[in-house]
Amino acid sequence: MTPVLEVEGLEKRFPAQGGRTVHAVNGVSFTINAGETLGVVGESGSGKSTIGRAVIRLLKPDGGQVRFQGRDITRLPESACRPLRSEMQMVFQDPWSALNPRIRIGDLIAEPLLLHTKLPRGERQDRAEHLARRVRLTTELLTRYPSELSGGQLQRVCIARAIATNPKLIVLDEPTSSLDLSVRAGILELLAELKAETGAAMMFISHDLGTVKLISDRIMVLYLGGVVEYAPAAQVFAEPAHPYSQALMSAHLPADPMAVLRRHVLEGEVPSPINLPPGCHFASRCPVAVPDCRRHAPELRPVHGDTAHQAACLRIAEGANRIPELQHG
Amino acid sequence: MSATLAPAPRWARRLAGITRRSPTLAIGAAILFGFALMALLAPWIAPFDPVQADARNVLAAPGGAHPFGTDGNGMDVLSRVIAGAGWAFGIAIPAVLVGLVVGVPLGLYTGYRGGWPDEIMMRGFDALRVFPSIILALAVVAAAGPSLLNVVLVIGFLDSPVFARVVRAEVIALRGSTFVESAVSAGNPTWRILFVHILPNAIQGAMAQTAVRAAWAVRISATLAFLGVGIQPPTPEWGAMIRQGAEYLVTGQWWVGIFPGVALILMVLGLNMLGDGMQDMLDPRRKAATR
Repeated sequence: MTPVLEVEGLEKRFPAQGGRTVHAVNGVSFTINAGETLGVVGESGSGKSTIGRAVIRLLKPDGGQVRFQGRDITRLPESACRPLRSEMQMVFQDPWSALNPRIRIGDLIAEPLLLHTKLPRGERQDRAEHLARRVRLTTELLTRYPSELSGGQLQRVCIARAIATNPKLIVLDEPTSSLDLSVRAGILELLAELKAETGAAMMFISHDLGTVKLISDRIMVLYLGGVVEYAPAAQVFAEPAHPYSQALMSAHLPADPMAVLRRHVLEGEVPSPINLPPGCHFASRCPVAVPDCRRHAPELRPVHGDTAHQAACLRIAEGANRIPELQHG
Repeated sequence: MSATLAPAPRWARRLAGITRRSPTLAIGAAILFGFALMALLAPWIAPFDPVQADARNVLAAPGGAHPFGTDGNGMDVLSRVIAGAGWAFGIAIPAVLVGLVVGVPLGLYTGYRGGWPDEIMMRGFDALRVFPSIILALAVVAAAGPSLLNVVLVIGFLDSPVFARVVRAEVIALRGSTFVESAVSAGNPTWRILFVHILPNAIQGAMAQTAVRAAWAVRISATLAFLGVGIQPPTPEWGAMIRQGAEYLVTGQWWVGIFPGVALILMVLGLNMLGDGMQDMLDPRRKAATR
């Protein structure tokens, strides 16, 4: 079966001041199958949101290829993307600004149905009520305006909008980061439930590993617009291969309060995405970097012969990829 | 006293609230309300037909049957001033509507699209600004003929850059906002993004301008008529009446020009006060600045 989403060598650049170029995404490849969730992790500026927007064509990629259900949509003009939008949806980070303040909640939820189906008005309203209940909103909220709802409720509205047309792909761009901690768990639970029910492929973007861990089948770790590790979720958590992934793991609080924290705090500067250095982009902060790392850009390679688990680090082959604190801890 | 005080009706309380928040707006609205009544009830309250000439009663001084006197054709000045209100509204309202209908979609599209359409429109507006708008209006009306329709269209078109600019600025601020992105990702076609999603969030600035632009329309129309290229006498248009009156001013028949002049000043004042109040209330930036 064709994967829902296949991305090959995706590139995206933005013009910066003084005629220079920001290299936001540099040759990223991945696939997502139906019913599968890919967690995309990286710090701000790693290009994760740009990738999310490029795969559903809110942005036009500068290079590489995006195939949606086997069809190349990389250079499709916006008018040709429009009918596809019922099959690929997005949930944005900040629910307060993601909804038109002058449209009622019911109409916001029903909007994708208005745009992509020929259902009559009454039918759309019934569906909107059904969708509202599905994301655990009381139907009396449907006549309110966005300013009258809480952040968690608004994000549920956004999710209801995103699943209204039963899309094959949902991109979730940090859907919980701007919400209160107490509300996050509920939203994550809802997403996990929808993942099981809808069978949609999901791309879950986050800077927080703990959030991604809950619902991701596979994880892609990004650094400065490039993939440094791409592996099944369990493996990334149990045995992160790339030094950057290891550092991310050590920054993630374990659920067990008695666990001994072994942290590695990265030092050094993140290189500018305008002047990317040659060699490994992480070398300037990497505790195990050797001079060779600054000369040769590492490619994604299977870790210990396991093709499912890939990482881009020269030192893995030598077995010298463990960062010190974790070794001694 | 046993009379129970009935609670004031809701509209009355709202009116009182607006009056307290913006006395300027309330006074302006009151003046315009007066003129609107005058325009609507003109056939019943005007003592004479405004274009009824009376060769035996030319340039009669105010008093008696003609409280504002009569003009050079023997027409009743009071009746003509009353009828003039209707002409003022009849020009200002359609002109502002033309300005909105032309300017708002232009501002919406160029603000959203950016690039060369935007560049062309803005440079075009800059070019228009080089000429004083009265000269432009004068030239166009003189060339196209002094009909009501031409006057309305010219004033409307000259007004449209104001609306286009205000809307464009709002659209540029909204263009990158997440709810617009979310509307795109939901699959909205461009026209729906512009008119359903952006317009309701971008129109307040333009609405706040309408009264001020109406004042300008009244003024320009009067100026055109005064210069002899606008609405032609004997139509009871204030500008045309002031022009007639100007001829008699030196010979002492002041009432022919002064009464329509006062009416014109009052109406422009009313519209400007209303406009000022509206801008304070509708434009969030001005609101913050005046608070």
